[in-house]
Amino acid sequence: MSGDDRTILLIGSGPIQIGQAAEFDYSGAQACRALREEGARVVLVNSNPATIMTDPEMADEVYIEPITTEAIAEVIERERPDGVIAGLGGQTGLNVTAELAEEGVLDEYDVEIMGTPLDTIYATEDRDLFRQRMEGLGQPVPKSTTISLDDDESVAAVDADALRDRVEAAVDAVGGLPVIARTTYTLGGSGSGVVDEMDELEERVRTGLRLSRNSEVLVTESISGWVELEYEVMRDADDSCIIICNMENLDPMGIHTGESTVVTPSQVIPDDGHQEMRDAALEVIRDLGIQGGCNIQFAWRDDGTPGGEYRVVEVNPRVSRSSALASKATGYPIARVTAKVALGKRLHEIDNEITGETTAAFEPAIDYVVTKVPRWPIDKFDDTDFTLSTAMKSTGEAMSIGRTFEESLLKALRSSEYDPAVDFGQLDDDELREEYLERPSPDRPYAMFEAFERGFDVEEVVEATGIYEWYVERFARIVEASKEVVDGEFTPAAVAGFTNAEVSALAGNVFEDSSLTWLPETRGAWRTADATESGTEAAEAEAASADAAGAAAGGAAAEGDDGDAIPVSAARAGVGQVEADVPGRTYKQVDTCAGEFAASTPYYYSSRQPEWFAGPYEGDAAAGELRVDRDTDSVVVVGGGPIRIGQGVEFDYCSVHAVRALREMGVEAHVVNNNPETVSTDYDTSDGLFFEPITAEEVADVIEATDADGVMIQFGGQTSVDIGEPLADELERRGVDCDILGTSVEAMDLAEDRDRFNRLMSDLGIAQPEGGSATSEAEALELADELGYPVLVRPSYVLGGRAMRIVDDDEELKEYIEEAVRVSPDRPILVDEFLADAVELDVDAVSDGEEVLIGGVMEHVEEAGVHSGDSACVIPPRSLGADTMARVREVTEDIARALDTVGLMNVQLAVREGDDGPEVFVLEANPRSSRTVPFVSKATGVPIAKLAARVMAGESLADIDASEAIPEHASVKEVVLPFDRLPDSDPRLGPEMKSTGEVMGTARTFGKAYEKALDAAGHGLPEGGTVTFTTRGDALPADGDDAFAEIRDGFVDYYDEATFDDLTEALKTGKVDLLVSDDRDALRTAVDEDVPYVSTEAAARASLEALSHRDDDIDVMAVSDRPRHTTDWGR
Amino acid sequence: MADAYVALADGRVFEARARAPGRTRGELVFTTAYTGYEESLTDPSYEEQVLTFSYPLIGNYGVREERFESDRVHPTAAVAREMTDDVAAWLEAEGVPAVDHLDTRELVTSVREEGAMACGIAAGPDATPEAAEEELAACKGMSDHVDIGKQVSTDESYTVEGGGEFDVALVDCGAKGSITSSLADRGADVHVLPYDATVDDVEAVDADVLFVSNGPGDPANFEAAQELVEAFAGELPLAGICLGQQIVARAFGGETEKMAFGHRGVNQPVRDLDSGKVVMTTQNHGYSVADPGSLDVTQVNVNDDTAEGLASDDESVITRQYHPEANPGPHDSLGFFDEVRDLAERTHSPVTAD
Repeated sequence: MSGDDRTILLIGSGPIQIGQAAEFDYSGAQACRALREEGARVVLVNSNPATIMTDPEMADEVYIEPITTEAIAEVIERERPDGVIAGLGGQTGLNVTAELAEEGVLDEYDVEIMGTPLDTIYATEDRDLFRQRMEGLGQPVPKSTTISLDDDESVAAVDADALRDRVEAAVDAVGGLPVIARTTYTLGGSGSGVVDEMDELEERVRTGLRLSRNSEVLVTESISGWVELEYEVMRDADDSCIIICNMENLDPMGIHTGESTVVTPSQVIPDDGHQEMRDAALEVIRDLGIQGGCNIQFAWRDDGTPGGEYRVVEVNPRVSRSSALASKATGYPIARVTAKVALGKRLHEIDNEITGETTAAFEPAIDYVVTKVPRWPIDKFDDTDFTLSTAMKSTGEAMSIGRTFEESLLKALRSSEYDPAVDFGQLDDDELREEYLERPSPDRPYAMFEAFERGFDVEEVVEATGIYEWYVERFARIVEASKEVVDGEFTPAAVAGFTNAEVSALAGNVFEDSSLTWLPETRGAWRTADATESGTEAAEAEAASADAAGAAAGGAAAEGDDGDAIPVSAARAGVGQVEADVPGRTYKQVDTCAGEFAASTPYYYSSRQPEWFAGPYEGDAAAGELRVDRDTDSVVVVGGGPIRIGQGVEFDYCSVHAVRALREMGVEAHVVNNNPETVSTDYDTSDGLFFEPITAEEVADVIEATDADGVMIQFGGQTSVDIGEPLADELERRGVDCDILGTSVEAMDLAEDRDRFNRLMSDLGIAQPEGGSATSEAEALELADELGYPVLVRPSYVLGGRAMRIVDDDEELKEYIEEAVRVSPDRPILVDEFLADAVELDVDAVSDGEEVLIGGVMEHVEEAGVHSGDSACVIPPRSLGADTMARVREVTEDIARALDTVGLMNVQLAVREGDDGPEVFVLEANPRSSRTVPFVSKATGVPIAKLAARVMAGESLADIDASEAIPEHASVKEVVLPFDRLPDSDPRLGPEMKSTGEVMGTARTFGKAYEKALDAAGHGLPEGGTVTFTTRGDALPADGDDAFAEIRDGFVDYYDEATFDDLTEALKTGKVDLLVSDDRDALRTAVDEDVPYVSTEAAARASLEALSHRDDDIDVMAVSDRPRHTTDWGR
Repeated sequence: MADAYVALADGRVFEARARAPGRTRGELVFTTAYTGYEESLTDPSYEEQVLTFSYPLIGNYGVREERFESDRVHPTAAVAREMTDDVAAWLEAEGVPAVDHLDTRELVTSVREEGAMACGIAAGPDATPEAAEEELAACKGMSDHVDIGKQVSTDESYTVEGGGEFDVALVDCGAKGSITSSLADRGADVHVLPYDATVDDVEAVDADVLFVSNGPGDPANFEAAQELVEAFAGELPLAGICLGQQIVARAFGGETEKMAFGHRGVNQPVRDLDSGKVVMTTQNHGYSVADPGSLDVTQVNVNDDTAEGLASDDESVITRQYHPEANPGPHDSLGFFDEVRDLAERTHSPVTAD
């Protein structure tokens, strides 16, 4: 049956968004390989250009097209696939497959749904059907009922009393409040949560009914406080069925598993209970007829019986975020096996590539503890309440592996690169308990540490958090271990999972690595010393504690928080002293079998040896179980860590390309990364996969263990760039001979140092917005006054425009400084002239130190003032003349050479009409990978990340014989914004980046490409209906301006204008089909009610252009068929 | 400072932390199960062995007698990366030495590469590396424990009543409690007989099936049980689990052999040759059936093709190398006990209704 020549359509999951991150790139890419291994021809559709799966070599035909029935029907018409696998593209892939079936497209072209059947999908998605089915099997489910609308009924038509009656009846049916209210057919649990008040429940039900695809809201018995577990199950057509692993949520039931800290395998469930749930999982997957991977969620509690009691909560009949995590946690490639099972293979006929001697018909055994922690965009959305609930708000996650829970947890927290959004020092014990222990939030793990730091006991913390005692005890042990450092005992802290740099900081030193796990605010002076310059209150406090540490260093012994003096032996022990005193790390294999078979795949994690050992492992001893050839040429590629706003899947794409380029050159490539969702952490991407936190210390350990000749830090976004300086220092301290390849750390630093960069630009004769840096409020005010308002202000060293703002007057500037300094206390702020009405450009280029190859020039759709990461952009530019393009090239080349760039460089430029024609300003230059690299490569066909890796490894562009290409069609990148997931967030665009992901639309005209991109991003313009305008003159022209009239007239050609006294009500009752507004409240309501909107003048004009091309052919085409000219940009 | 030492036959001595004091020795084996430590530690098949848990954290959900498989701890010692206080206290109360804070993966991979090996342990305040080495020197091979059956079997026969629908003579070579209860749950009265029961003992209970249990060590050391099987072959339906399968195979002219390090865990894949279906099984054995004699192999291990199920042509014999009774481990093969019931009922003369 397999080994055939069938054509299989694989549908991706589209853009990265909250609830659907890079995991589907990983599973899709793995499935592509698996299907092609079996001889199938693979046709891939995905709208997300930043993915590995959309690389031309991944499938036989790649379509970067909207995941809509219209576009996919067109692909089906062209490619005539024999089958489609629905279960690999997340909820998006599943929904669109269901729609294609419902619309008859699959029947018309005789496309078989392979693997899990559609009926199963319906049976699991419709919670009522699901409950009935479980009851039929005798499986216990939480009591539940649905509130739904009749066929012809609209929410607007249901009055308040009638709604209340229905809601009350539902609450009675499930045994009273609190209940969980959920909307069916949504992603990541959007619009759901535990509700304990009637009014709130009514409001949720009303919204839910509007948003649900089938007008249903489910009300369920709350099993809050139970242990939440997930089982990953696999079944083949012969009914062989296995459990890949179970996963236990540390946070009790009531918090979405995507928001929970998750541990594999389960820790607190006895074998009886585990086996009962395992049985239930197998019974359910068999009954549903699932073929391939599937995820089943349970709630469990200890009711005094040997096995406890459980409820079946939910089934996901597809690969998922959890299956990606399970795959990385165990080494069992769920997507690969799912794809092969869909083709008809049996589990025992599929090889286990990890051991090389067993098959997929087994249940992995692991001999380590895996911990996953989510990463939340809390720093970006001041107005959103980040209390964790049944709806997801996190954008990504980090995973870690350790031999104890403590080690695993600390590695995971460190990997997440998260800074608590609270200054614990400002809280009294009651606030700490109520706001940060009882209330689940991203800060809760840190609050637990803080509680033990203050002397809370385990019982109190168990009581407040509802977290199982076994876990809480281990949080307490971590804090105890950290306290022992004060007595000169370093080993307990090291064995608990702190790095040597952290132990040194606990001993009173300044912390010098790039990211840290948790260090107590009240102990030590670990924050960097140069913060004192900013002269703010916070910095002064730190200066004071730095003095205290200085005193300790002087031998006078500083006070610990409990009044104990730090002994001289412990005081300020440097990293070298700590390293010599504590057990070193050795590397262990992830082998799927807990050591039972010798594994052949190089997938590793580090673990500290037990306390009887002292000192680092060097040479062969450092290699532990590594199966790498230490004598061959090898390079370590540092990845990007968890996905967050400003640092998305694009950096994983870049890392993977670097690895591929190195391997093509015959150089062994090792990856250090900790994001379980990604292709870079797939076991067969690299020659050595190190699932580790990204710190200088841990990367240096990998370098020593592999005896790598070089390390690449350009590809993993800010995470990898940030370790540059500390890594250079660490390698030097250890005397390790390994080069940081490509552009020097010094040059990267120069590019980020505004003053030095300014001087360089003026030497080169390149224009820049006027500006400078200020280290005090007075300096900033003076500078702003010189430049004239509005000015653009931001801290130096920023990621994704964090804390960047346009300010209009002194007051705003003062306010800003207070906040900004808290964001980045150790760096000055930058104040720049704001270039209004300029066209912004992004240029991605590769330089070998001499030649410069331009990958692409992108023109932003949004005007200056909107963060480049949030602006739609088009390649090639649509409004630049040949002279301007030539100047763009010249500026790019000059900067690349001036920075001695070797590798990638991104330049942000602005073009403004001057007296002598257009003038090109440089806004920013970053000699490293950028988020637009994959978009550029997909649009032009030039693989610039690979070229960069090759030049960094020593080749010249001339050797590689690479050439530039300009596409004939317009490719528009449009962003996806998370406002619908983040209640009360401000939906207006600004200099702070807020988007989570991107899509690409390509067509012969800009208008059509933009329309396709909007459709792909899920905010397509409505077919018709009403348009309503409400503008304030901020981002859109004010009502009364000529520009406003022009825009209004444009839209009125396609829609009927409607005006309302009560716009909010009109939006809520579905009377507005399109909103054109720059008013925060109106936009917020539109977001909540899922009403399409346009919020800036540039977007309005682009939308009008899209509308004018609405009737054009959809122009679906495989990426490789799109015409391109081999021509240089700007020449 | 370390207060426990583990000396291995390959010459290495590992430092560790004592969790339950004492000196002991045994064959070093490992299980890859991460749940079921209470069941494993009370499994008589671990007699004379030092049980290493490859999963690092043991004891997380406490210790409860309802989950025990027998009335005492059987391994001579327990080894894990980290044990909880609960499990350490239990082992100390049972007088079974226990150690943690050592690199158990290193132990596991050594056993994998070099085979199950002798080991000596010294734990507690007075422990020294030399003491562990002395224990090691005194350690016998598993096949040399010729009286191991006596150590684990019941002294006296007794009956577990399950409703009297059929009668099982269970030869206790170190039976797990779950075998008895799985049979009783299906209506059997289970007559548990000592490992050295005689033909008369079996006849006295008027059994419908003769069932040989699991147990520790080398099947060659269970001559009495083998003779029983030979005596009843063709007379009574026969069943066996684990060591029981090995004894039955030997009685039917087969051979058994010692494996390099055996199968111990709850994830061993077994394929039924008839249906093609693969199920996950619990296993705990260091010997296997190399030649099934006149029996047929009906199930095999997917990883190494070892015999997992045997049957006779006339279907009056069925055995399993794995543990269908689970505890710990998957319930995938509980149906085996239904097959045993069906086998018994074929020969059972139903009681006439009053």
